[in-house]
Amino acid sequence: MTASNATPEVALEARPAAAAAERGTPLLRRLRRLRWGVAAAAVLLLIVLSAVLAPLIAPHDPLVVDIRHRLAPPAWMAGGTPDHLLGTDQVGRDLLSRVIYGGRISLIVGVAAVILSASIGILLGLAAGYFGGAIDWTIMTVVNIVLTFPFVLLALAVIAVLGPSLPNMIAVLGVAGWPIYARVIRAETLALREREFITAGRALGMSHARLIFRQILPNLVSAGVVIATLQVAQVIVLESFLSFLGLGVQPPIPAWGNMLGEGRVYMLNSWWIAAFPGAAIFITTLVINLLGNALRDWLDPRLKL
Amino acid sequence: MRRVALPGLVFLLVFALAWPGLASAQTKEDTIVYSLQSDVDSWDPPASVLREAIILGYHAFDHLATRDLKTRRVGPNLATSWKNVDDTTWEVKLRQGVKFHDGSPFTAKDVKATFDRVLDPAKKMTARGNHAKIKGVEVVDDYTVRFKTDGPYPLFVERLTAQVMQSEKVIREKGDQWMAENPIGTGPYKLVKWNRKQDHLLVRNDDYWGPKPHYKYLRIRIIPEKATEIAELLSGGVDVIKAVPPDQMDVIEKSGAARTGTSPILRTAMLQLDQAARGGPNPFTDRKVRQAANLAVDADGIIKHVLNGLGDRVATGINPMAFGWDANLKPYKQDLAAAKKLLADAGYPNGVDIVFNEGPPVVEPAIQQTNDAIVADMAKAGFRVKRNYVGDNTVLVARVKEGKFGPMFNWSWGYYSVFDADAILFDVFKCGEPYSYYCNKELDDLIATGRSTLDAKKRTEIYVKAQKLLFDDAAYLYKWGLRGVWGISNRVEYTAPADEVDRLFLATPRKK
Amino acid sequence: MRRYIARQVLQLIVVVIGISILSFGILHVIGDPVLLLLPQNAGKEEFERYRHLLGLDRPIYVQYWTFASNAVRGDFGRSWYGDAPVFRLVMERMPPTIYLTFAGLAVALLIAIPLGTLAALRRHSFVDTLCTILATAGQALPLFWLGIMLIIIFAVRLKLLPASGYGTWQHFLMPSLCLGMAFAPITMRLVRSGMIEVLSMDYIKTARSKGMAERRVVWKHAFRNASIPVVTVLGLQFGQLLGGAIITETVFAWPGVASLTVDSIRNQDFPVVQCAVVLLALIIVVVNLIVDVVVGLIDPRIRTGA
Repeated sequence: MTASNATPEVALEARPAAAAAERGTPLLRRLRRLRWGVAAAAVLLLIVLSAVLAPLIAPHDPLVVDIRHRLAPPAWMAGGTPDHLLGTDQVGRDLLSRVIYGGRISLIVGVAAVILSASIGILLGLAAGYFGGAIDWTIMTVVNIVLTFPFVLLALAVIAVLGPSLPNMIAVLGVAGWPIYARVIRAETLALREREFITAGRALGMSHARLIFRQILPNLVSAGVVIATLQVAQVIVLESFLSFLGLGVQPPIPAWGNMLGEGRVYMLNSWWIAAFPGAAIFITTLVINLLGNALRDWLDPRLKL
Repeated sequence: MRRVALPGLVFLLVFALAWPGLASAQTKEDTIVYSLQSDVDSWDPPASVLREAIILGYHAFDHLATRDLKTRRVGPNLATSWKNVDDTTWEVKLRQGVKFHDGSPFTAKDVKATFDRVLDPAKKMTARGNHAKIKGVEVVDDYTVRFKTDGPYPLFVERLTAQVMQSEKVIREKGDQWMAENPIGTGPYKLVKWNRKQDHLLVRNDDYWGPKPHYKYLRIRIIPEKATEIAELLSGGVDVIKAVPPDQMDVIEKSGAARTGTSPILRTAMLQLDQAARGGPNPFTDRKVRQAANLAVDADGIIKHVLNGLGDRVATGINPMAFGWDANLKPYKQDLAAAKKLLADAGYPNGVDIVFNEGPPVVEPAIQQTNDAIVADMAKAGFRVKRNYVGDNTVLVARVKEGKFGPMFNWSWGYYSVFDADAILFDVFKCGEPYSYYCNKELDDLIATGRSTLDAKKRTEIYVKAQKLLFDDAAYLYKWGLRGVWGISNRVEYTAPADEVDRLFLATPRKK
Repeated sequence: MRRYIARQVLQLIVVVIGISILSFGILHVIGDPVLLLLPQNAGKEEFERYRHLLGLDRPIYVQYWTFASNAVRGDFGRSWYGDAPVFRLVMERMPPTIYLTFAGLAVALLIAIPLGTLAALRRHSFVDTLCTILATAGQALPLFWLGIMLIIIFAVRLKLLPASGYGTWQHFLMPSLCLGMAFAPITMRLVRSGMIEVLSMDYIKTARSKGMAERRVVWKHAFRNASIPVVTVLGLQFGQLLGGAIITETVFAWPGVASLTVDSIRNQDFPVVQCAVVLLALIIVVVNLIVDVVVGLIDPRIRTGA
């Protein structure tokens, strides 16, 4: 499984020249080139703000049940009311409010799970790349085991035993996601390890720890940030996968994933129940991806991701 | 362009490899297609816990007696008549000229072999509990058998509809593992092929003793996703589906390709309250709290708005179709003021906290929505409900049996398709039974008396008393009798069955 | 080369063993299958008898050893849910999943290669962003939503394709499209970055300055070299696709091994889950190994790499 690691090495020969060229360009010109990323960042900020300010923005309480007004269509359709702009769900809860509040769960889970997997993955990737040998082989074997192990089984195991709570979900998604960090960080570390400033540091008698944390790690930040950004989007989608299996955040707490899961039978008639959370996932994921692309182009254009 | 051609080639290659598929000689006109959301574990009905196995059993096998769906009375099938010789002996006469699918004749020794096998404690037969009151079967002659029962057994005739007749020759020569995949019965269809968890193909038994099914082939497809199942009905891939959610009925009705059929079914839903304190002390040990819970919920409104009217309100757990149901007993009507007062009287002037254990939607339609509505109603009366969701049905059932699922949880009961009050009272209300969270000696005495007399009038009186007790004591939070909803293709004529057992051999093409 | 393969095979074996131990352990932590298998009115002695029958009362390492020694000979026991031989059950369901995975991979490539190449050539332009949007659509839309939408459009409304099931080539179209669309984005991203890197290489500039037609430059030189990371990722993707297969198989009633596994987890049918997990893991690592060897043959630098 070492093939993919060689590519960064191959690319790195070309890297210094390109990176230098980038840094020379004036800031505004770079920003203009990345205008899509800037736009994406703005939209993402809006989404995050609406999630944070949910109690102020949401027109209704997302948990209030009103069975007399269940399955009401969005306001612009026949049978809809302006009171419920996006309609109501199968027990009469306001969809707009639920979508707004749902963003909280998705974003919290996304960020928390990614922080967890990034921490584990970067540390292990560093260790594997820096120390090499048996440590490297062991860590990469574990990486392969985790990658080959069916995520469903892991998720079912943890959540069936410990219960489907938010922390457990974050734990499962975090544990499932660290291998990709380990792989990429390992490759980057391998390359950096051979550079002069490291070998010089060893010659000067610097300790391993100092070398790793003071010299190598700062160079990995860009790689880490880019991967992390893109992984947030991935985790949000995985959350809906877990909800499909009935393992995600439990109703009645609104989360985009479980709203989609509940709404999938209704796609044939009351399509709005699944459509709006689905649109929310789509827009958020898209925006995060665009931002991630832009970050990569800004920080480290040579990254394979 | 070469690089794009390569994946394209792979694609086509994969298609070519997968082509063989399931080509068969059937045509659309001679096949009827039925779908299930999950497959059976075995074609040996007494060995399976699943309702699907019962349904499939009706197609390959016959029973000694069956229920007439229109009159709802039990009538002869493989048995032509039965009578009591004495209080603990029933004599049953068998139909002549019936053959099994392998050609061997159906006689009394097959009845004995079937029951001996089911009642044998060394085997793992699920059905044993249903027939535990039968001590043994004697062969009197080729077409007469005698059943000896452990005390008077008024449900004997009802329970004759619950056991398929299997071949003595097969039992003796083949064994359980073979029988799980090869049903040799006397029924209207024979099994041709079973692709586990995918589909079954059955062919008409042209030597059937009774009315032969119209369709030569019956295909049973397994479709786990409800939305897909409905889509298949609408696009003509499936002819009959069951358990249609009430909210999706309009999709089917408006499609022009299919319609819905409904029928009240025996299954009755309720919220069990831990009066017996199996899980420890809890507010529901106090009758006032239980009554308050019943008075808080607007069950009629929920039936009307959430179930689109598809539910039959019940005063207790006894279903209107069951023997012994008291039509004069009126259910609780929502009264929030009274509920609040009762809670205050019970010592909870500021409301009470309870935990509500819920499970995945398995049998009850729209259970999540109805739960949401119930919880909302209870909150208005002062119940602060904390909801706990258990995602796995097996785990759920296990916890219920262990007494760990209180103080409040969803439960429904199918009566094992026995249309009799005893079929729910014993398992769900009797003190000490694994599925019962209620303990009341007076009720236990009524249950014991009710099931040990053969006098129908006496039994009715006993069950009226029992229902009054259950109502006044508000044993559980009573909901409603369920209504099953079926989706039926417009090319087929088919009636929704009141006992939840689909009989595809009765389906005929719809006349234009 | 031989040493390289040897090391990889060793890792393969360790991975498969590791997975089998892990899943064995997890399954025995999840729950008690005896509760499912016995009827409602069974007593305590029946539970104990059953537990003994299934060997569940022995210490866990003994159970594992029995399982492993039988498994190596191809005997994975009998299903606890339906009493059928497990190996046969799993292998019957394997072809549909494998076909679906390859078909999905093919669709993903069909989408990713043109889009990724286009995005690389027109980097930072609107086209680049548009390609990202299109590719993201596949990833962000949950698989079951995509599947049900396809069914509604093509089976219910247009009546062009069968809604679900397995058997003819028409049954193949929607599921593979669904699966492919879900994995196109990540593949596209890799094609794009691979192409970007290669396109800026000196030999490309040389070819261009020599007056070579752009199309030839792109396809003959750039793509061949960019295919290395793409091929590598395919090996990884294979494992991910199996995860996507679970939803696709459920929505389309596809009789594959992925839905069998999930079903069996729910039914706590341990032997089936164990067999499926181990066999699938074996297939994934073998595929990855083949990919590694192929890439190692193409690019000798990798063999001697870390």
